[in-house]
Amino acid sequence: MAKLNLTLKVWRQENAQAQGRIETYQAKDIPEECSFLEMLDIVNESLVHEGKEPIHFDHDCREGICGMCSLTINGVPHGGKKVTTCQLHMRQFKDGDTIWIEPFRAKAFPILRDLMVDRSALDKIIASGGFVDVRTGAAPNANNMPVRKKTADAAFDAAACIGCGACVASCKNSSAMLFTSAKAAHLNLLPQGHPEKNKRVLAMVRQMDALGFGNCTNQYECEAACPKGISVDNIAKLNRDYMVACAAEAVAVYS
Amino acid sequence: MNDIKFPVSDYMPDSCIPDGPIEQKWTKYKREAKLINPNNRRKYTVLIVGTGLAGGSAAATLAELGYNVKCFCYQDSPRRAHSIAAQGGINAAHNYQNDGDSVYRLFYDTIKGGDFRAREANVYRLAEVSCDIINQCVAQGVPFGREYGGLLDNRSFGGAQLKRTFYSRGQTGQQLLLGCYQAMEKEIGKGHIEMHPRTEMMDLVVVDGHAKGIVVRDLVTGEIKSYAGDTVLLATGGYGRVFFLSTNAMGCNVGAACACWKKGAYFANPCFTQIHPTCIPVKGDYQSKLTLMSESLRNDGRIWVPKSREVAEKIRKGEMKASDVAEGDRDYYLERKYPSFGNLAPRDISSRAAKEACDDERGVAPSGRGVFLDFKDAIKRMGKEWIDGQYGNLFEMYEEITDVDPHKEPMMIYPASHYTMGGLWVDYNLMSSIPGLHVLGEANFSDHGANRLGASALMQGLSDGYFVISATLPNYLTTQKPGSVTTAAPEFKEAEEAVKARIAQIMDVKGTKTPDEIHRELGKLIWEDVGMGRTKESLMHAIEKIPGIRDEFWKNVKVVGSTEGINMELEKAWRLAYFLDFAEVLCYDALNREESCGAHFRLEHQLPDGEAKRDDEHFAYVACWEYKGTGELPVLHKEPLTFDNVHLAIRSYK
Amino acid sequence: MNDIITTACKFVTSSIGRKILVALTGSCLLLFLVGHLGGNLTIFGGDGTNPADPSWINAYATGLHTMPTWLLWAIRLGLLVIFLIHVVLTLVLKYENYNARTHYQMEGTLKATLSSRTMVITGVMVFCFLVFHLWQLTFNGDPANCYEHIRAAFTNPWCSLFYIVAICCLFMHVRHGVQSVMQTLGLSTRKIRPLYNIVAILFGIVVCGGFIAIPVAFLTGILQ
Repeated sequence: MAKLNLTLKVWRQENAQAQGRIETYQAKDIPEECSFLEMLDIVNESLVHEGKEPIHFDHDCREGICGMCSLTINGVPHGGKKVTTCQLHMRQFKDGDTIWIEPFRAKAFPILRDLMVDRSALDKIIASGGFVDVRTGAAPNANNMPVRKKTADAAFDAAACIGCGACVASCKNSSAMLFTSAKAAHLNLLPQGHPEKNKRVLAMVRQMDALGFGNCTNQYECEAACPKGISVDNIAKLNRDYMVACAAEAVAVYS
Repeated sequence: MNDIKFPVSDYMPDSCIPDGPIEQKWTKYKREAKLINPNNRRKYTVLIVGTGLAGGSAAATLAELGYNVKCFCYQDSPRRAHSIAAQGGINAAHNYQNDGDSVYRLFYDTIKGGDFRAREANVYRLAEVSCDIINQCVAQGVPFGREYGGLLDNRSFGGAQLKRTFYSRGQTGQQLLLGCYQAMEKEIGKGHIEMHPRTEMMDLVVVDGHAKGIVVRDLVTGEIKSYAGDTVLLATGGYGRVFFLSTNAMGCNVGAACACWKKGAYFANPCFTQIHPTCIPVKGDYQSKLTLMSESLRNDGRIWVPKSREVAEKIRKGEMKASDVAEGDRDYYLERKYPSFGNLAPRDISSRAAKEACDDERGVAPSGRGVFLDFKDAIKRMGKEWIDGQYGNLFEMYEEITDVDPHKEPMMIYPASHYTMGGLWVDYNLMSSIPGLHVLGEANFSDHGANRLGASALMQGLSDGYFVISATLPNYLTTQKPGSVTTAAPEFKEAEEAVKARIAQIMDVKGTKTPDEIHRELGKLIWEDVGMGRTKESLMHAIEKIPGIRDEFWKNVKVVGSTEGINMELEKAWRLAYFLDFAEVLCYDALNREESCGAHFRLEHQLPDGEAKRDDEHFAYVACWEYKGTGELPVLHKEPLTFDNVHLAIRSYK
Repeated sequence: MNDIITTACKFVTSSIGRKILVALTGSCLLLFLVGHLGGNLTIFGGDGTNPADPSWINAYATGLHTMPTWLLWAIRLGLLVIFLIHVVLTLVLKYENYNARTHYQMEGTLKATLSSRTMVITGVMVFCFLVFHLWQLTFNGDPANCYEHIRAAFTNPWCSLFYIVAICCLFMHVRHGVQSVMQTLGLSTRKIRPLYNIVAILFGIVVCGGFIAIPVAFLTGILQ
């Protein structure tokens, strides 16, 4: 099995306040079939043996679903292969390659250490309105409300977002529109989410703006970087829903 | 080899099962349960550790009810807990398919699937609330699979003869978790939940015999802090990472549960660990985790290894391709051994069969540990398009990871540690043997017995969190004066100092081995000796070796960096230290349970045809282990299991 | 009434609200381009025999100036307001976007088109061009002698070149702008987006091609 020798240009930063810098490491004898994070494990193991501090990065499930892993690889979040970093495999690289590894960058995602960033801004957007306000126990029978299969499928497509933040990190404007619109679309499409639709849209958009994310300029870089294929159709829908919600807020008695 | 004589205690806490017929127990319980006035609820502080399905749903529900909830998770957001990785589905007895389902049938299938080692009353309650769970999730906007008429669809799953599994494509766990994460965020936004992400529970604080607080480490600043509450809810998942390689997330650990065990909570049935048969095999030493391929693949894939060792060796060395092996040279061993269930034999049985084939040196992965899962015949029969419609995403995922196209060459699979049925002992109220400490979800032992059926884990986590704990918690809380204990109590200071001392001890070793290296060593030992097939010999071997690995850790671990700020090496070492404290009790329990049942297979105890031989006369009990010191023998407490509503049958899948 | 004002204020300060305003003003400017082009192309009109028949374009220019002064200035003012909203809001958004970002040491791009990434640059180019264009042809000279002014301008190759370059910038701007308008107004889906892209390019080619045709015609001698 082929082994790779790579040069890594890695962003190192001791903590949130420290000045970061790029450092160069040699990754030697990397098995081609290991994942990107396992490659970093190998590098870290040797760093620790040399008594140096390992490269810190976020990761957890390592099967592409928890959304915890990040890393911008050669300028593209998750490396741009339509998978999360943990599912990116080293056979995508060639022997002798130089790989740039940086954190997900955005003002709204402050760096905590090395490649770890704080993405709690995304949680705050959800907390502002990304839910259906039902209490446990109050729910009617699940089959009381039929949902058109196409609608349910579209809602699922939007709900597949793993909240990794690659959309923000890939955006030339650090906009969180894809994330916000996906959650809004998931809930707005379903009849269960309908009663709070306008309220939700206004709250989520205003929260998103307040958190310091940039504005969408329709470049669709987010869609291309998204490991879960979330569509920018959701952004168009959010724009539409936002207009309606504003109109309703301004003039309608029942909004 | 000397026999180990476990100290046995006659004392067993009351399991608090309400009397009356099984169908009425939960109703009766709820009718008689204590209540807390809505205005008084906010005076009670509930500390919840873990934000998976169990912890997240409990946090949301209790906050809605008005309790003052503080919630902790080690991930950067409550949305990332490992419940998110569950693929298949969630069971419920709605009987939307009109195929004869009922609460009783779901109860029976679950208790039979667990090989009659679970508590009847708990399992029945689980089946009873299963429908409410689906109703709740749909109302939250969880996008379950639907039929063209707009109503919910179901699929069938292992261990059941009807369709009762609700699903969201292959991401059911994710969608259910997002549902309860959103419910949590709603309460966080309203200020009812104080959320502490990137915070790890380090120890439990017990004041006057009651669980009244926790010590945590802020994983960003490294600060050791304490939180006091009126009760502690532990929902920290299972201990599958004791095998190092497992399908669990990298951060999953036994730390919090082990800390509670050391403080007096009983650990029940730790030997019940589930090995999932269809995972991608280990590729090399650098490997960090194993990826599960959905069990549904076995519906159309045929499992085989070469008949001869020579052919297998050629395949291992890459001198021969699987597709070049003639039909006559293939051993479809599951079809041969279990003609009626064939490739769909239950998880434990097919896992063991794969191990046997590889032990016979007929494994096909380069490591020798792997068998083929072949779709050649299914593609020939149904066409490539149909197969892609069924399994397209799984095929893509497999190709992404292994660079092999399963349309052309068969998949390689091997069993891996997946779920742990054992956990902290709890009574019917979900309260452990430490008053005030409640344990939910995979972290407790309660509902799956010796083996968990597919699509039951999600059901149990949500049942505990949404519906059970909200009803049972007041029973404890009403006995407590709200806010009676604060972090000013000396026990908090003591616990904090102990945690700091343990961290300092780890940092001071300054040895040569990284935590991962030692963890890998432990995992390998446990996998070999306490994995799919266990013998007295192998268990004694493990029991002999574990103290050595633990010593190696405390004498030779190397943790770089400082205790301040983020230090992932320290996190790993801290978690590993608890695995090392815990590993022996897993072996002790397996050694003590001189029978085979469900996922626990003792080679000494099998029927002539190789099936598990249960010993209901001597082992129909929950083995609860009380900690007596690291390296000391734990004390065994037995909770007898009685079965009044089901007949103890032998599981047969021939 | 208060509610309406509050919401309106929130709308025009929100990210989506401002983008919608940019999209709407952008569409107005696109329509203006079409009208302007229609007028310009009268330069090629005439009896068809003479390659330099000034009658149509001069009539068009005179026609514009014979409309009531208040109407002419109302239109000009309207255009100015639309233009200013478009420019000011985009610059504010750009400023915010710049501030929302921290830069990568190694930049990478997957899908964002060159035109989408250079909107501000092309926009500023078009703005500079516009100032020059207004000075040169709108506020100087006699409408009755329009053809002569144009001829004088475009027979100077440097001036023609500047026009051609500026119109190419306009093409880039419009190429991203057209489909972006549809997305921002929520009228875009996965299925229709490729069509919008084609429309954007065709629109750009037709409009910008039309504008460029005039200096090219003078340079090549088709118009004299």
